Amino acid sequence: MNTPLTHAGAERRHFLKVSSTATAGLSLGFFVPERANAAETPQLNVWVEIEANDIIIIRYARAEMGQGSMTSAPMIIAEELDADWKKVRVEYATAHENLRTKRAYGDMASVGSRTIRNSQEYLRKAGATAREMLVAAAAQQWGVPASECKASLNKVTHAASKRSLSYGQLAAAAAKLEAPKEVKLKDPKDWTIIGKPIPRIDIPDIVTGRIKYGIDTQLPGMLHAAVAACPVFNGKVKSMDASKVENRRGIVKVLNMGEFVAVVADNWWRAKEALREVSVDWDVGEHGTLSSAAIMTHFKAGMEQADLAVARNDGNAPEALGKAVKVIEADYFTPYLAHATMEPMVCTAWLQGDQLEVWSSTQNPEGTLAVSAATAGIPQANVKVHPVQLGGGLGRKSPQDFTRQAVMIAKAMAGKPVKMLWTREEEIQHGLYRPASLMRFKAGMDASGKVDALHIRVSAPSILATLLKLPLPKGIDGQAVASFNDHPYDIPNTLVDYAQRNTNVPVGFWRSVGHSQNPFGRECFIDELALAAGKDPVAFRLDMLPNNEKSKRDRSILEAVTKAAGWGSKLPAGVFRGVAETEGYGSWTACVCEVSVNAKNEVKIHRVVIGIDPGYAVNPDNIVAQFQGSVVHGLTAIFWGENTIKEGRVEQSNFHDYRMMRLNEMPKVEVVIAPTGGFWGGVGEPAQAPLAPALVNAISAAMGKRIRSLPLKNHGLSLVKA
Amino acid sequence: MSVSDAYAPSRRRWLQHSASLGLAWATVQASSAYAQKMESGELKTLAQMISPITQGAKLLQQDVSISAPVLADNGSLVQLGVHVQSPMTVQDHVTHLYLLSQRNPVTRMAVFHMGPWNGRAEINTRVRLAGTQAVVALARLSSGEFRYAQADIIVTESACVDAS
Repeated sequence: MNTPLTHAGAERRHFLKVSSTATAGLSLGFFVPERANAAETPQLNVWVEIEANDIIIIRYARAEMGQGSMTSAPMIIAEELDADWKKVRVEYATAHENLRTKRAYGDMASVGSRTIRNSQEYLRKAGATAREMLVAAAAQQWGVPASECKASLNKVTHAASKRSLSYGQLAAAAAKLEAPKEVKLKDPKDWTIIGKPIPRIDIPDIVTGRIKYGIDTQLPGMLHAAVAACPVFNGKVKSMDASKVENRRGIVKVLNMGEFVAVVADNWWRAKEALREVSVDWDVGEHGTLSSAAIMTHFKAGMEQADLAVARNDGNAPEALGKAVKVIEADYFTPYLAHATMEPMVCTAWLQGDQLEVWSSTQNPEGTLAVSAATAGIPQANVKVHPVQLGGGLGRKSPQDFTRQAVMIAKAMAGKPVKMLWTREEEIQHGLYRPASLMRFKAGMDASGKVDALHIRVSAPSILATLLKLPLPKGIDGQAVASFNDHPYDIPNTLVDYAQRNTNVPVGFWRSVGHSQNPFGRECFIDELALAAGKDPVAFRLDMLPNNEKSKRDRSILEAVTKAAGWGSKLPAGVFRGVAETEGYGSWTACVCEVSVNAKNEVKIHRVVIGIDPGYAVNPDNIVAQFQGSVVHGLTAIFWGENTIKEGRVEQSNFHDYRMMRLNEMPKVEVVIAPTGGFWGGVGEPAQAPLAPALVNAISAAMGKRIRSLPLKNHGLSLVKA
Repeated sequence: MSVSDAYAPSRRRWLQHSASLGLAWATVQASSAYAQKMESGELKTLAQMISPITQGAKLLQQDVSISAPVLADNGSLVQLGVHVQSPMTVQDHVTHLYLLSQRNPVTRMAVFHMGPWNGRAEINTRVRLAGTQAVVALARLSSGEFRYAQADIIVTESACVDAS
């Protein structure tokens, strides 16, 4: 069984290592890992280290928040290394070590479903380089050509002389060799680890409670902080009166940090309870009257705005619409959504002199390091960011607002470690919300029902402009128009334009981002067109997919999923199907849902068949898990997810009014993995995209009434409980 | 030395430097800004950044130092300090200090006008960067020659943007 090396694991191993005198190992690369003992273990490379006892240490340089990459990324190295997976141990690389080694581990953020697709090449090369060195060491020892030696399952074998040596036996000699500059990577048909369903290495520790999430961080003498920011976004503290709680048992300090208030205590509950009785006069600025209705008016005005940014302009859509035999028009709307990660924002920080240590549940460890150093006012080299498992990330834990707060508090409490933990209320009311978006679709058909023109107009906030403050060339935020500007359908006249409509509600990256909402509009509207043309929704889509390289994958995943779902077969009375097809995060996805709706407007989901073409499916078991999880997450948003604004604040505060999917509402999920090879696509996010439109298309068919906004609770719909 | 002469070795150095920071060219180009098809995602060459200003005048990579963090969590606010070794006398001083961005829509982020009255050729400021890139500090001397330094700044990936 593999023991995942979490923070505690790494320390234990370090202990074993320094207490062992017989260590001889191989580590490949240009930089020496920080804790390695150079005298004992010659080090060459940062990713792979082989101990004399044949245990292979593979380093993982991203975050693990349940997406499974801590297993999949090492699998890629192990594949090229011809490692025996049972002997692989995984350890985190750290952001401070990455800084020290001039980014030997490359990018460390876990965002955009990018871990595998952006790192697979250098990870494969790291594994292959190590393998070549081990083979060369064996060949040297035996005095035979390396070409006659074969590596497999932690061993190098020379068949002619029937000799073999384990990686552990070869590691020390291999480490003295020069790393080959060019290595040949395996042909995918020869893979023995990639493509196999391998259990996630962190599961045993999760189910036995040994895993250390950020929230589990415990340090000697640690203090606890609860925080409250102004309920109106971007408001400030005008004045604060903490006299009621300052002398309470356990209360150490009440801090006015300008942007927020913090109570520091000997335990978190005392801090949190005291915070309720700190009287704060907030300066809410000019945004204290903002409401959902006002935001909708603001979005609607965007629809009539004169100077729109053009994201795509094929042919002449307005002219073609003018000539169309039939014009179909519809508005779609999706709401703001908080992330509601199971573990709220949490960060422990300890400033001692000019040295800072941070334990943050972060998707972006290097960002954590940068923010921590800047906030503490110390050099980046003085910061250590300790890896911890995340209790969910969903995109909320890549921006570092919460780390900044924790370091501000640690600075005020210098010398003491302080764990800052948000309440659920703080998390839901101070999110970086998935933007609400108003989408207008207009399509023109000829007499045969062929779609000749499509005009999509989006009126929505820009995440890139407001959160990342990136310049938007030609005024386009690619996320706001995602899946519109690159729709695959053969519609000669397509116009996509965008009104950037920012509000005081901060927006951010919510799992799948633009693909969490735009495919809902696009694929539901395509269904409306199929209905108007009197055609089967699948045949209608297949007819509109052109015969080109990109669209062949749209076609193949749509065919694979509809085949698995038995599209076209007879359904029981009252059961209806819906379909959708999308591309995003480098992968192609499709979904078929079967539903019935009873007289009480309760939806029964009979089947969810959802599939992906990720090019190469690295760990199919993990893909199934990601898709099942995405359906839970997606159904939560589709049925109930909505943050509304009143008097400048988010109205929802906890799970009673920001409801999650329940066990007895969950349908069975059938996952179709249909990799066509030749590319590496993402897995963590794409499943959200086709789910909402497939489900809503089925529900609309069942009700005989088109639904064009989410969540479904606003249409009086709920789920049948098992 | 002409600009093209200066460019050749410095470009090699630049690539080496970039590679050492994990900034292989392909990696930089595959980053989110580029994949968003943002015009600012295109990385300029050193010559494209500098030549419009130097116009063929003598250029050396010396006497200028940049202090900036290696990592920035967000490009919206990056602290940058530049110091130019110069006596700042009437005879020999820095007249202009340019801050140039490799990736921003506007390459010339700032121009500081200087003279002997400054005493020291040193500035501290904050700049906004549209993603990971090299930043160049270019000093025009009273002699008409130029000096420069460059720094790679990593804007960490904090975005779940679809970079496919």
